[in-house]
Amino acid sequence: MNRRKALKNLGILTGGMILLPSCDFSEEKVTLILNKLQITAKQEDLVKEIVTTIIPEGEIPGANALEVHNFVWVMVDDCLPKEKQDSFMNGLKLFDKKAKVISGNSFIKLSENKRITVLKDLLKVNLEKDDQGKKSNMEDIQSFLKTTKYYTGWGFLQSKYVMTEIMPYPLVPGTYGTCETIETNKRINING
Amino acid sequence: MANINTDNNKERTFDAIVIGSGMSGGWAAKEFTEKGLKTLVIERGRDVKHNIDYPTTNMYPWEFKHRGQIPEDIKKENPIASRCYIFREDATHFVVKDKEHPYVQVKPFDWIRGYQTGGKSLLWARQTQRMSDFDLEGPARDGFAVDWPIRYKDIAPWYSHVEKFVGIAGNYDGLPQLPDGEFLPGMGLNCVEEHFKGAVTENYNNSRHVISGRCAHITENRDVFIQQGRSACQYRNLCQRGCPFGGYFNSNSSTLPWAMKTGNLTMINNSIVHSIIYDDKKEKATGVLVIDAKTKETIEYSAPIIFVNAGSFNTNLILLNSKSSRFPNGLGNDNGLLGKYVAFHNYRAKITAEYDGFPDKYTTGREPTTSYIPRFRNVFKQETDFLRGYAAGFTAKRKFILDTDGIGQELKDGLLNPKFGNWEVGSHMMGETIPKEESRVSLDKNKVDEWGIPQLKIDLDYDDNDERMVKDFFEQFTEMYEKSGFTNIKTHDSKQAPGLDIHEMGGVRMGKDPKTSLLNKWNQLHTCKNVYVTDGACMTSTGTQNPSLTYMALTARACDHATKASKKG
Repeated sequence: MNRRKALKNLGILTGGMILLPSCDFSEEKVTLILNKLQITAKQEDLVKEIVTTIIPEGEIPGANALEVHNFVWVMVDDCLPKEKQDSFMNGLKLFDKKAKVISGNSFIKLSENKRITVLKDLLKVNLEKDDQGKKSNMEDIQSFLKTTKYYTGWGFLQSKYVMTEIMPYPLVPGTYGTCETIETNKRINING
Repeated sequence: MANINTDNNKERTFDAIVIGSGMSGGWAAKEFTEKGLKTLVIERGRDVKHNIDYPTTNMYPWEFKHRGQIPEDIKKENPIASRCYIFREDATHFVVKDKEHPYVQVKPFDWIRGYQTGGKSLLWARQTQRMSDFDLEGPARDGFAVDWPIRYKDIAPWYSHVEKFVGIAGNYDGLPQLPDGEFLPGMGLNCVEEHFKGAVTENYNNSRHVISGRCAHITENRDVFIQQGRSACQYRNLCQRGCPFGGYFNSNSSTLPWAMKTGNLTMINNSIVHSIIYDDKKEKATGVLVIDAKTKETIEYSAPIIFVNAGSFNTNLILLNSKSSRFPNGLGNDNGLLGKYVAFHNYRAKITAEYDGFPDKYTTGREPTTSYIPRFRNVFKQETDFLRGYAAGFTAKRKFILDTDGIGQELKDGLLNPKFGNWEVGSHMMGETIPKEESRVSLDKNKVDEWGIPQLKIDLDYDDNDERMVKDFFEQFTEMYEKSGFTNIKTHDSKQAPGLDIHEMGGVRMGKDPKTSLLNKWNQLHTCKNVYVTDGACMTSTGTQNPSLTYMALTARACDHATKASKKG
């Protein structure tokens, strides 16, 4: 196939649009293509760091290795109602400032333990007791963190790795076991 | 209307025309082509070939971008479809989108449709319970609608005929209100379902029963299924995607390819039936007028036998729109009852609970059916403050508990080390509703669809009888749950609009008297005998049984009648 024809076919595949790689390799580039949300590279990094903190690496790969942050963005972008999306984005904008106030540094620069403390503390804040005027901001920060945690957990559990290596999902179970005895020393498989 | 030249006329003439390729249309195609009739099946939607057009059937959960969720924009564009449990990321392509096929709701009605080869047979919940004389004698005994012109003995052999080909898993339960059929091995109850069965049998003196729901799944390979290219169910419970094993029955894997093999089937897609053509001189229907969905050209097809299997309400629409000087109000509609006395199944009520027994047991695989509780109210005599009654599904499943409290390693450990919780049990009501004259579908006078066909206007609602039945279901099941040792019992009335049950029926009801019904005991229009209606539109009353099996049996029976009648001349 000649190059012209190949490009033409590529054009068909991408809906008539040819996407050529950009030569801009600066840090400011957002790697995700989202449908609705406008985000900055910094925001993308921050969410990635939060997601990485929520489910860390270890013997079993964590959220970062399994690219769960991409799933979080896809779900927020496509599946959250506008109101919750706005709350998520506002919470994201305010989050780092708040993290600085309570820990003295930007979230990204904190140690893993301190990051965990910051996330736990912010999720724990009793909204009733916060200053009147700041209540909705705190609500948004919590909503942002709760949403991120929720989709991180979901994306992790339903990642290919977990669903093949840890708790395998049988596409073709073959049988229905009506009354099986639990083996107490085995990991329980929620997909079994 | 397009001029049709004589050469083409021959190509457009058949022995039988079947409108619709879903559950009952597929059966008409199979029966007619087997009997040697050159048969045309007209499908309004696109073609869906078994296996070839099941794009999601072998996808793993993580391969779905939204893990099954429907994006917010699609939900907003499709409020009706989105309320249906089947409208998930793996099956949206088989469900009609709201905007594409609008209709008029006088009262809220969620009309769920599947416009493609196979229709909703791709998507059904596969429950196949026979109706009994306690259902067919219901209207006459309780004084509503009209008497069915048939009894169980008329349809029993046809149930058997259908069941042997479809493949029905079930147990021989010996219940008069839910006759046994031709069964493959039942799928079985799990420990808690068995426990519930025992407790119910004991506490209600053997007057209430918990059985394995009879369902259209192959549980034992037999020649008849091998010949269809179908094999045993693999407990994937992903049926709505289309099954690569043909483990459950749909038109696409079974009746339609079977009919195609005879060489007698012609199938056309993207072809919308505008109306049935009635010839005043011949005093019968001579064919159908079809609009090409894409080019919008019209074209006529002819046959001496016409079967309308467009899906209950669309069958009503076609007949209402088939106007002639003989039938100005719709084909066969001398009495003005066409479109009236429609009904549905009341699926509003659910009741959940927990059970702490069998702590060391669990289930594996994904069961594609449920346990079933046949109607026990007002079966042998009237005994409550409402007419008729309800059947119910029942399932028990071990709950998983995931500790999601922490952040970091703590959370990771929590998610990866689930624990078993109590068993969770749930039951949903399937209530018979009473067909009434004011419950009706009609043609909207102003609104038309993309093809110039009047939009259907649906006017249907719950009544006091339904409300009393919901109340009784909650009371009776709360008691049954308590007697079974279940705790944390919660009732839930979804208040969902009629329609989500996807069991809309009637409008072209069967009956003995042409003055009060549209169809005779052979499903022929009383006043236009070469037109048959054998889908849900023909139902005189709804019973509590999932109705598809009955449509299929009535279809096979009517095909036999139509073939014999045409041979006689």
